[in-house]
Amino acid sequence: MSQQPNTPPTSGRLQLNAVSKSFLRRGGGTPMLAVDHVSLDIPKGEFVTLLGPSGCGKTTTLRLIAGFEMPTSGQILLDDQDITNRPPNKRDMGMVFQSYALFPHMTVFDNITYGLELRKISRQNIKEQTNHALEMVGLTGLGERRPNQLSGGQQQRVALARAMVIEPRVLLFDEPLSNLDAKLRVQMRSEIRNLQKRMNITSIYVTHDQTEAMAMSDRIVVMNAGHIEQIGVPSEIYRRPASRFVADFIGRANFVETQIESVNGDGVTVRLLGQTVTVPMSTRPNIGDKFEAVLRPEGLKLHNDPSLQQVLVEQAMYLGSEIEYIVQANGKSLIVVDTDPRSEFVYSEGQTIGLGMVHETIQLLPLAPR
Amino acid sequence: MSTYTRQFRRILQDPILAIALLFVILFVFVAIIMPLLAMIGESLSPAGLPRFENYLSQPAFQRIITNTVVLGLSVAIGGTLLGFLFAYVQVKVKVPFKRFMHIMALIPIISPPFALASAIILLFGRNGMILKGIFGVRCIWGAGRSCNDIYGLDGLTIVLSLSLFTVAYLNLKGMLEALDPALEEAGTNLGGSKWHVFRTVTIPMLIPGLAGSFLLLFVEAIADLGNPLVLGGNFEVLSTRIYLSVVGLYDTTGAAVLSVILLLPSLTIFIIQRYWINRASVVSVTGKPSGTPQQITHPLVRWTLFAIVMAVCLLIILIYGTIVVGAFTKVLGVNNTFTLQNFDFVINGYGSKAMIDTTVLSAVATPVAGFLGILIAFLVVRKTFLGRGLLDFATMLGVAVPGTILGIGYLLVFNNDLTITLPFGGETPTIITLIPKLAGGRALLGGSLAIILVFIIRSIPAALRSGSSLLAQIDPAIEEASISLGADNAVTFRKITLPLIRPAFFSGLVYAFARSMTTISAIIFLTTPQTRIMTAQILNEVENGRFGNAFAYCVILILIVVAAIGILTITLGSTSGSTRSLEGGR
Repeated sequence: MSQQPNTPPTSGRLQLNAVSKSFLRRGGGTPMLAVDHVSLDIPKGEFVTLLGPSGCGKTTTLRLIAGFEMPTSGQILLDDQDITNRPPNKRDMGMVFQSYALFPHMTVFDNITYGLELRKISRQNIKEQTNHALEMVGLTGLGERRPNQLSGGQQQRVALARAMVIEPRVLLFDEPLSNLDAKLRVQMRSEIRNLQKRMNITSIYVTHDQTEAMAMSDRIVVMNAGHIEQIGVPSEIYRRPASRFVADFIGRANFVETQIESVNGDGVTVRLLGQTVTVPMSTRPNIGDKFEAVLRPEGLKLHNDPSLQQVLVEQAMYLGSEIEYIVQANGKSLIVVDTDPRSEFVYSEGQTIGLGMVHETIQLLPLAPR
Repeated sequence: MSTYTRQFRRILQDPILAIALLFVILFVFVAIIMPLLAMIGESLSPAGLPRFENYLSQPAFQRIITNTVVLGLSVAIGGTLLGFLFAYVQVKVKVPFKRFMHIMALIPIISPPFALASAIILLFGRNGMILKGIFGVRCIWGAGRSCNDIYGLDGLTIVLSLSLFTVAYLNLKGMLEALDPALEEAGTNLGGSKWHVFRTVTIPMLIPGLAGSFLLLFVEAIADLGNPLVLGGNFEVLSTRIYLSVVGLYDTTGAAVLSVILLLPSLTIFIIQRYWINRASVVSVTGKPSGTPQQITHPLVRWTLFAIVMAVCLLIILIYGTIVVGAFTKVLGVNNTFTLQNFDFVINGYGSKAMIDTTVLSAVATPVAGFLGILIAFLVVRKTFLGRGLLDFATMLGVAVPGTILGIGYLLVFNNDLTITLPFGGETPTIITLIPKLAGGRALLGGSLAIILVFIIRSIPAALRSGSSLLAQIDPAIEEASISLGADNAVTFRKITLPLIRPAFFSGLVYAFARSMTTISAIIFLTTPQTRIMTAQILNEVENGRFGNAFAYCVILILIVVAAIGILTITLGSTSGSTRSLEGGR
């Protein structure tokens, strides 16, 4: 596994310029906009995740990049070349499918050589590269097996090797881990990430699993209803969500309405749950503007402190690594997660207790008109 | 609409795909749409149109129409019941000899036309070996006009049900096997008795299959020509009347009018079957069966069903036995001397040309039909283009349209050179022959091209159906994977799609060959002195009462088909496909 990749791909910058895709509805009617003016600029070697709920257009976006769908409008550029109308077999992209899509009538070895054989490479080289790919994904010795003689995790590795061995300019992943069990999923995601880093191939990864996205990505593209909600590095997406949708979809969040009390320096002051809180903010709102505070459950703390707002513990769930509470504050239910391992701070249902906040975790969002 | 133009541009980007699509559309148009349109056009011509009223008002013709419908209904009921019985016993009842029953149910697939009818005549006819020979029953004239013999509706129902029930059997067997045992378990668990569960769970789940088989058998029965011709007696149906109009009266216009009358119910039922029954199917939703199906062990039910099925099996053996024995006998039932003359007649004598011609033409048609069927399946299932549903439908017309009708269409279209006269060219207009004369006397290659065309168009639907149902089960991502790795459509089709649907291809080939060798109705008008077809020769022998020769033809025909299946199995190395072929057909 210490071997260097043969020849690292020389390029792989991928750009999407206002790409849209609409599908005709069955039986006529207005076309459905599956991808809505999506623009992306992905430098070579970056690992970008398209993250969103099912039906948000992430898979369609990936298939547009792969060339299996044609955009209704917009442009796709690969290394500054317009590939919008280029057929998928001429795009030099490797794809790992959700169902793996291994060729069932071929051996593992033949599956991996398939792409190489289409590339006018000498027999000897094909053999070497295939063996190297097998070794990279830890399947040495299984080359003669048929896909149906492999476990799910092994099939996944074959699919990975098959897509990587052609050293494509871009690697595309369509929810590749969703058919694996939880433990294997965690293991595979770090393997994929390590291989991708070593080979330095631009990668687009589609998933609806936010943990997977956080763990693997350089940048995350959160999608909703066909458009991009936010693009950013994982910590930014989590700590500074740009919209209520992102805050809600990535991790869990409590939403509490509030209004601006004063604007000072590079932040604003608001009243939240009986406390005056100063939150950094780049824009300059007016005093009295209504906002929505995003309170992460782990940013809320239960203390035996009478000076804090008193809340009623409605439900306490012991989850092993953490305790999850649902508390009542002024008629509003909030989720509080406590990861403190000390057992003396376990509160029981029906108890009244003070609620504190870690101010740095608070994010203010303009109150969306509803 | 821009989506369609984009799809179109997409297809044009791949010239091989575009050419394949164009070729397929052209082929289907020439081989099926044009003959049909010509036939309909002829019936609506000034000479044809008044005859609709003429025919429909005559009591004699009304009786023919009634006969046709009654025959269709009784065969549909008889064949579906028989198929259901065999399927139910096979899947749900604990009885011995299941393998034997299964094989017996498959045997009628390879039944040369007339073979069953002739055997039945020899066994149960007026001078039949069983009624007269064993029981000494003479023809007893009943209260009315008819004699209690095998000719007519009763004999036709028995023979047609026996020759057609295999489709219903395979169809229902598949459904019964796919039926999730948990459903019946749930019914029992809620307190239902076995009989109650059978009535309220099993049967309702099978209704699409039962209805589908019923309609299919109805269409097949009213389209059949060979059996009514031999076994009909005074019981005349539309297909025989069409045949006699052409062969006896040289009245193609009248035949076209009658064809349209026959085409209407056939097409209506085909459309119902295709768009309604297939959608009503509930079994496919349940997915993989969980648990083991419970079998019926009640002794009375078990052994009654066993006895009925075994009796039918014995009847099938008796019939096929008669065919084989008859082929080696001078005049079965009259002069039971062993002889090889019949085979000599077929192999070395007059029949050898028919044997060779039929085999060669079928062998030419088979790979074409198999390949085209799979290609159309690929285009229809995997590619999006305007009119793809239409292509599928038009291709399926190859079996939906009764053979006699197709034959008349071919006679009408291909009886002359098809030419176009170019509008420019000055004094002498340039005439370009698009399609040379394919049918009738002095046709190209002795009319063999038209026959091959019929063989192909009648066989493509089976390959199309088995191909598209198998393709639908294959994840499209597998082909996309190939394309994303750099392969174009043609390479992907050759290296990925074709190997994956090899069982369907194999079954398509088997079906095409068997169907081509045994088809009669569609080619009966297309044989010429230069091109002889075995089935037409069998008819000739049967009509002249030379059953020995007819049986020898049948035995040799069966042997050729079996040998061809053997060769295909060895070369394509697929044994699993052989059962699938039978399911995919018709």
